[in-house]
Amino acid sequence: MISFWRWAQSAGLVIALGFATAMAVSDAKAETLFRLGVSEDALTLDPIASSDNPSIWAELLIYDTLIRPGTNGVDLEPGLAEKWTVAPDGKEYVFTLRDAKFSDGTPVTADDVIFSLKRAAGEKSDWARFFKPITSYEAVDQRTIKMTLETPFTPMLNNLALFSGAILPKSAETDPEFFTHPVGSGPFVLKEWRKGDRLVLAKNPHYWQQGKPAVDMAEVQVISEDNSRILKLQAGELDAIINVPFNQLKQLQSTAGIKTSAADVFRVEFVQLNTKKKPFDDQKVRQALNYAIDKQGIVDSVIFGNAVPAVSSISIMRYHNTDLKPYAYDPDKAKALLAEAGLAEGFSTTMLLPAGDSTLRNVGAVIQDNLQKIGVKVELQTLEGGAQWDTTKSGNYDMSLSYATSDTIDPDQLVGFTMVNPERANAYHTEWKDDRVNELYEAERKTLDGPEREAQFKEIEARVHEGAPYIFLYHQRAAYAWRDNVEGFAVLPTSNYRLEDVKMK
Amino acid sequence: MYLLRFTILRFVQMLPVLIGITLCVFLLLRVMPGDPATLILGRRGTAEDIARLTAQLGLDRPLWQQYLMFLWDIAKGSLGQSIAYRAPVSAIIMERLPATLLLVAYSTVLTVLITVPLAIFVAMRKDRPADLLVKGLFVVLMSLPPFWLGILLILLFSIKLHWFPVSGYGSNIIENIWYLFLPALVIALATSALTIRSLRSSIIAVATADYVDTARAKGLRPGTVMRRHILRNSLVSTVSVLAVHTSWIIGGTVVVESVFAVPGLGYLLVSSIFTRDYPMVQGLTVTFAMLVVLISLLTDIAYALIDPRVRYD
Repeated sequence: MISFWRWAQSAGLVIALGFATAMAVSDAKAETLFRLGVSEDALTLDPIASSDNPSIWAELLIYDTLIRPGTNGVDLEPGLAEKWTVAPDGKEYVFTLRDAKFSDGTPVTADDVIFSLKRAAGEKSDWARFFKPITSYEAVDQRTIKMTLETPFTPMLNNLALFSGAILPKSAETDPEFFTHPVGSGPFVLKEWRKGDRLVLAKNPHYWQQGKPAVDMAEVQVISEDNSRILKLQAGELDAIINVPFNQLKQLQSTAGIKTSAADVFRVEFVQLNTKKKPFDDQKVRQALNYAIDKQGIVDSVIFGNAVPAVSSISIMRYHNTDLKPYAYDPDKAKALLAEAGLAEGFSTTMLLPAGDSTLRNVGAVIQDNLQKIGVKVELQTLEGGAQWDTTKSGNYDMSLSYATSDTIDPDQLVGFTMVNPERANAYHTEWKDDRVNELYEAERKTLDGPEREAQFKEIEARVHEGAPYIFLYHQRAAYAWRDNVEGFAVLPTSNYRLEDVKMK
Repeated sequence: MYLLRFTILRFVQMLPVLIGITLCVFLLLRVMPGDPATLILGRRGTAEDIARLTAQLGLDRPLWQQYLMFLWDIAKGSLGQSIAYRAPVSAIIMERLPATLLLVAYSTVLTVLITVPLAIFVAMRKDRPADLLVKGLFVVLMSLPPFWLGILLILLFSIKLHWFPVSGYGSNIIENIWYLFLPALVIALATSALTIRSLRSSIIAVATADYVDTARAKGLRPGTVMRRHILRNSLVSTVSVLAVHTSWIIGGTVVVESVFAVPGLGYLLVSSIFTRDYPMVQGLTVTFAMLVVLISLLTDIAYALIDPRVRYD
């Protein structure tokens, strides 16, 4: 077998030579590099054209906003603006900029702020609605901006803390290629973006926070496969990863050299009920369904304990009504309520599930099983994300397993989306309508932050809890892991991360 | 010069194929429920926001206009603007094309390196234990999901032995070859299961031909007989199998790409379908179609090289 060995030998030689060289090359290392593994790549770095998390999180590392959500997810903290005032009538906001520079060394001025916010409210912006309440801007001096609103709009401050309100240099206006080499005042500068592979970030030498970032370089590597991402962390090819599947969290926890955590993020899982359809038009039936679901059971068996049961369709955040308790797991009470509604025999129905989400698929199976026990037979229908939205929007469904997330730390966004009808989505397609909730929503948006606004939100949440247009399920945490040579990596309540706080030991 | 004429003819023949494919993809995409503007803005936008974005993307025009615009873009050598990336489709495809091409070429080379020696080896031991063992082994390899085989190889070669990186692509050609070894091997092992069997049976058939006996009678050494007379005549059918398989790999490496985090076109296609990035899916389909034609062209050239009787007039 001469030919066989000749093949094998020459092939082996070529491969061995190749690897020897490759290993020699890869030994050259940067000064301090932090490598984060994520599951999806960013799509764009244009803040007014982003709606996917990977793009948003990347933008938050490159750009600054005037103010930003604190790491506790409750308060706003200074960003580019070192201080701000809101007039008592809620119609005038004045921001004072700190002495900050863009990554190209030019100072951040009032003109840059006005340009960026007008752009965010403009024709091309997907987020215009969030910035339109500001009707005029005035550059009082190079570091002071006065914004005027025609009518008071309390969520405005939170909207300004959104990534889409990122401050860009005015020169971006004339540069059609700006977002391939973006300039911002954030902690990092984009060095290279290999699409689908990684985002290479370098420390911004002009960053306004002294001593940050602590690392010279940061790489956000895209590894869509969960197992590969975990294996890469274990092999030391990554320093931290996000989106750890819950079923692997425990095992990873007990791995030497690796630490894990699960962050409370602004997210809520629920089942939408089509309140226009029988029998879901009856509040008793909707409450019965809530009593029939063993939420803690789902949290323990499917989410491995990484969630807390929910009381309503907004996440646990500022102004959350802590007096409310989740519907207890009580099949007898559920049956009694069904009987009161004239459905003692139960009924048959269908529930939509998003395709490709194995966690929600398992949750769907538990719900099916729980409801079977009170005589409600559920047929599961798996639909791909876009199709599920279209189906619920058209009103042609019974129940639909879904979730919602919040972009801001103020409940206004989720209340508007999941509780108010019509507003944007007819209470997220449940068609549930409560005049008092609508009234409170209008009032809340005009009331300055404080006890009065808190009371309004608490009443809204209590009414929705009672009206039960959803089966309220749980708030899922975001699991992440890091190697023990990393310090300060954390997923924030807003789901993003501040890599400027990361240190390598 | 016949080859040049043949090549041009091939590309001309491709035009109706291309129109057929683009029309199918175009219509299928529009039939799918869910539109890009709703997917982008759904949870956050109002109905007016969605209508504005739909108009901005040109998706409010009649279908035939949209299709003609798409064809016009191709004629101009552009593939339009990606909805998700807000950047030219061709630029994004070109960024990712090298990884896919390298993976396809690499796995094809590995397939040949695995197939030829093993097929000769088992053909000469027909129905003996070694033959059955190899056959059994590759049936198992072929039936393993690539996902699982990939994880197994990572566990062995990356985690235990540290020979190869777990995943990724690398930043220069030498790194690329190092990083892509395991993913290419996963594809090559599955492909080899087919090609080894095809080549084995051809070798066995050809080995009984009269001209092989003649060659042996001339006193040629067994190795020379194998190389010059048996192998060369056996290869044609295997090249066909390999070519069909390679064409399939171009768009079908999604699983391998995601396990090994290779920034290739397969994964881009799947995620673009989910985001309803119509121009991107259309552009990728055109690219795949052209690559498949290119591969069949290369296959024809390979036939000509293997078998001098093959002529394309």
